[in-house]
This record gives sequence, structure tokens and C-alpha cells, in this order.
Amino acid sequence: MGEFDPHNLSEEDFHAEVHSFQFWLEAVEGYLSGTDFGFEPTLTDQTFSARELNFLITTICNYCIAEKTALEASSGMIRFAPDPESAIFLSTQVVDEGRHLEVFVHRLKMLGVIDPWSEIKARANQSLLKFKDRLLELVDQQDWEAAIFAQNVILEAMEFTVFQSQQPTADPITRSILASIVKDERRHMGFGENDLGRKLVQAPHTRRRLDQISKELNPLVLATFTETASELGILHEDRELAISANYLATIKRLGFAV
Amino acid sequence: MNDPLEVIAGRDQRKRYTLGETGFNEVPKKYRKFYRKWSGQNDKLAPNEVLCPVCLVVIRSARELRPGDRVYCMPCMSRLVVAMEDGMLLAKVVY
Amino acid sequence: MMADFLMGYSIQSWLESCPQGYLDGTDYGHQAGEKEPESLLDNETFREDAIRTTVQLIAGERAALAASSGLVNAAPDDPSKMFLATQTLDEARHVEIFTQRLYDLGVKKDELDSVISTYVNPNLVKFAEVLLEKVDKQDFIAGVVGQNIVLEGMAFSVFEMMHATNHTNNPKFAHTLSGTIADERRHVGFGENRIGSLIQAHPEKKEEIQKMQQEMTYHMLATFTDSFKTNEDIIEEVQAQTMNDSAPAVFHGVDLARADAREMEAVLANTVLGEFKTRLGRIGLEYLSPAA
Repeated sequence: MGEFDPHNLSEEDFHAEVHSFQFWLEAVEGYLSGTDFGFEPTLTDQTFSARELNFLITTICNYCIAEKTALEASSGMIRFAPDPESAIFLSTQVVDEGRHLEVFVHRLKMLGVIDPWSEIKARANQSLLKFKDRLLELVDQQDWEAAIFAQNVILEAMEFTVFQSQQPTADPITRSILASIVKDERRHMGFGENDLGRKLVQAPHTRRRLDQISKELNPLVLATFTETASELGILHEDRELAISANYLATIKRLGFAV
Repeated sequence: MNDPLEVIAGRDQRKRYTLGETGFNEVPKKYRKFYRKWSGQNDKLAPNEVLCPVCLVVIRSARELRPGDRVYCMPCMSRLVVAMEDGMLLAKVVY
Repeated sequence: MMADFLMGYSIQSWLESCPQGYLDGTDYGHQAGEKEPESLLDNETFREDAIRTTVQLIAGERAALAASSGLVNAAPDDPSKMFLATQTLDEARHVEIFTQRLYDLGVKKDELDSVISTYVNPNLVKFAEVLLEKVDKQDFIAGVVGQNIVLEGMAFSVFEMMHATNHTNNPKFAHTLSGTIADERRHVGFGENRIGSLIQAHPEKKEEIQKMQQEMTYHMLATFTDSFKTNEDIIEEVQAQTMNDSAPAVFHGVDLARADAREMEAVLANTVLGEFKTRLGRIGLEYLSPAA
């Protein structure tokens, strides 16, 4: 056990290890082996009421928007990644996001949606679309700190929180899909928080600029949470707060105003 | 930060733990026994465990943890330091 | 059916072939515990040569990573996006395993950048620049031809040649290459299969793409010439040392264990150019010689 005790790694070795393709390969083997589009192939679908189906389709349509955004942002960021290790990590994130998009689109088809992208367009959450446009602008501007903040801190924390909230009450197939996605999102969120945290320590003047971005994007995120909570049937105020608590804690840890 | 050489020499008087598999499957096999899922507010952590505040996975150590210890959360790639607050051990992210 | 064919580009399909397939149980692309041979590590000339060669591979893979990730957003359909996402990760893996090889050859981590700048061939850098100009303009068709037909086509033959020369004397490196060759097969296949119909739909792009191919080919051949000229003495020395022990290492009819540098350069160049002509022809493009 001593040989592989992760807590004995030097900081440099730890970063090299966890950002590598080799780490990703061995990590995802644990939970993706034997799955078929993100879920255990032995699972069968339950019967949904019309209302349940409608809410589930709307939720997954918006998940598709989020994942497509993440796919486009992370692939766009590789070109200006500050070092090869970050580029390699982002490459694993590109495949993760692509996989998430693929499994959600597949889920829509399983739920009877004939033309997923038309459905997605029709049911898109407007706050989420605005967030997406702003994030992709930051990527086009090749602003690393801002893009990492918006993508890996804000967007990924939002997804992580929402997926975790839905998991316990989701149908078995959706739950299985979300379980594997949440495992990927941990890596993405962690990369963002730690990379940004390090950069803020090294260059504190960056904080002011990112504070502006945080103030700009937070209302869009919180509006998305409110609408999503409604779609998931989480109507009580305290559950609405819970869905955003994790996200707000992340922002606070990095020292940004909420 | 606490001196890892003290651990090796056994001079630190800490309890040692043999870690078994927990079913955790999000990191390479060789690291899996160092992590487990957190089951919520009622999950009582052992003296060799702390909760990662970033991703809410329980981090496990082969030795009893004390304030100042450095631990890593591999699921979210965070570096953390163990601290004591209100009589409870917790982990704080170090950037 | 087209829908079934496009399913081959899915991430599910990639997961089952690659990480859950031929990469399962590997360690940086080779079997755990495999090492570079002592005869290589103990000979400073051979070791430096291996470092120089590996640097070119890293440069090529970094370009491929930048290109494939840059083309994800330019892709006109979901299956192409998904495929390019998997190609992005394949290329990142190639960067990683070749970088790891440099460390295995004794290069220290803090020396990595300076070693790469010292040894990278300027013609290879220009080759990459021609391609990345198209990627930066989000030109999907030109980008995929440049990346998946020209760059990947070159890489495929280079890796096959290296595999032939290493499979007996350096199983570690040969195993590393096997995995990359398997990846390149997919990449080249995507290039040919996906682009043909798009070129038919956009004949106005042919001239520009053919010119890009011509320019990339020029820099590629210049890279080969430089490499084999630099390695001429080393190739002779290796062959002198291993003459009686070496099993034949045949690549397109040439025994690389006994060929001189010029013969090796010729067979590599002819193989790559022959494949360019064939692949480009299949997708409706005319190969332009850099000599023209």
C-alpha cells in the first residue's frame, strides 16, 4: 500500500499524475466498462406519465445544451492552454463532454424524441443560452483564466450540482447515466477550481476582472437553477437553495462575491 | 505541514490503518482504497478520514490524520490541508 | 445504412475499441515494466538519436492535437464532432506517451522545453503552420484533408517504418507504436470517408486544398531529408553492431536492418507519397508534387 499511497506524492508528481491520459484511462475503466451509452445494459425503462415525460425531456434537452457548450469550450481552449499537461487534461475533458452529449441525445431518442436537436431548440432555457454565448466569447478571446472560470468552475459546478440533485429521484436509466457523468464532472470542476485558485495566488490582480465575470454570469446560473428546480419538481424554497448551495460554496472558496 | 519522515520512522505515535476496498471506482485501481463515497450529514468520519469540500468524496489515509497534514483528493485533483475547526477535523483546499 | 456507418464514429464505439480494447492494461502505451534497451541507454550517440527522433514525433502530435481540437467546433454534424473529440484525446495520448519516452531516455522534466526547441526540425514546424492556418480559419474540409489525410497519412507510414525497425530490438517502443498505429488507422479512415462527399459538394475548394497539400508535402520531404542525413552515420553504426543478430526488418520490400540512409529515406518518401496519391484520388483531389 505504501508504494501507491497518493498522499506521499510530491505536489509536482501529483499534478503530473492526475492530469495525464494514463490516469483518465485507468479511472474511467472503473465505471464505464460494460456500459452502453452511459448505463448498465440490463436496465429497462419505466413507464412515465405524460407530465413526467415532458419534464424529463425538457431537463435532458437543457443538459444537451450545457454539454455541447462544454464540448465546444473545452476543445476550443486546448489551443491556448498554458502548458502541455493542461492541454492533455482538457483533451480528456473533450471526450468526457462529447460522451455526455452523446448519451443524453441517445436518452432523448430512447424517450421517443424523433428529432433531438429540434426538440432541444424548442425547449432551451434562455438563461443557459446566454451563458453559453458569453462562455464561447471568452474562449474566442483566448482568455484562459476567464474561460476556465466560466467553463470549469461555473458551468461544471452548475452541472455537478444539478445532476447530483436529480440522481436520487431519477428513473433507473437516467440515474445510471447521471452517476457516471457526475464522476467525470468531479475531475472537471476540480481542475478548474485548482487551476484558477493557483493562478489567483500567483497573479492576484486577475481577481478584479474575474469578479466582473462572476457578477455577470451568476444571475444567469441562478436563473437556470430556478428553472431547473421547477422542471425537476423541486418546488420548495429550501430545496431550491440546496440546489445552488454547492455552486455558491465553490464561488466563495475562490474568494468571489456571490 | 507535518514531516512525512516522522511517519516512516514511526516516531509520530499515530494509529495506523489497513485500508480495504470501498467500492469506489472513480480513480485508477491502485488508489481506490484511499477514497469512498460520502453518505451525507449522518456519515461519521473515522480519525483517518476527511471530507473533500470540492467534490464531497471522503479521503482516507493509512494513518490517523492531524491538523497540518497534507492530503490529496484524486477524484477532483485537489490538494488539501487538514485543519481542526469546532473540534472537528476538516480539509481545506490549498491552491 | 449511413446511420449505422456513422455510429462507428461514436464515443461509445471508441470506448469499446480503444481504452477498453487495445489500451486496456497498458502503461503509457506499452506493457508495464517494459524498458528502453540498455544498448540504447548506454550509448550516448544512439540515445541522442532516439531523443531527436522522439522530439519530431512530439512536434507532430502537438500539431495534430491543436488541429483536431480546433476542428471540433467547425464540424458540420454530430458524428464528425464526436469523432474529432476522440481524435483529440488520441493525439493528446500520443503527445503524452512520446513525452514519457523522452523521460525514459533520460531527459529531465525541467529540460523538456529546451530539448524540444533544440532538436525540433524547422521544416516540421512549417508543415504544422500550414495546417494550423486552415484550422484557425475553421475551414473544416481543408483542415481534415491537411490533418487526417496528409499529417496522419505521413504519421501512419512513419510509425509503421519505426515499428519495423524496433519490433525485435526495442519491444517497449514497438508496443507504444502499435497503439498509435491503431489510432492512426481510424484517423485516416475518417479523413477519407467523411471528406469525399464534402469535396463533391464544394468543388471550388479543390484548388486551395491541393495547394495546401503541395506545401505540406514540400516541408514533409524536407524533414525526411534532414532526418536521414543527420542519422546516416548512426544508421551505419547500428547496423554494424547488430548485423549478425538482426532479424530482417522489412518495410515495403526493403530490409531496414541492412538498407542505408538513402534507401530508407526513399522507401519512406515513396510510400507516403504513393498513399497520398491514392487517398487523395479516392476523395476526388489531385496530388500535387512539391517539385511542380
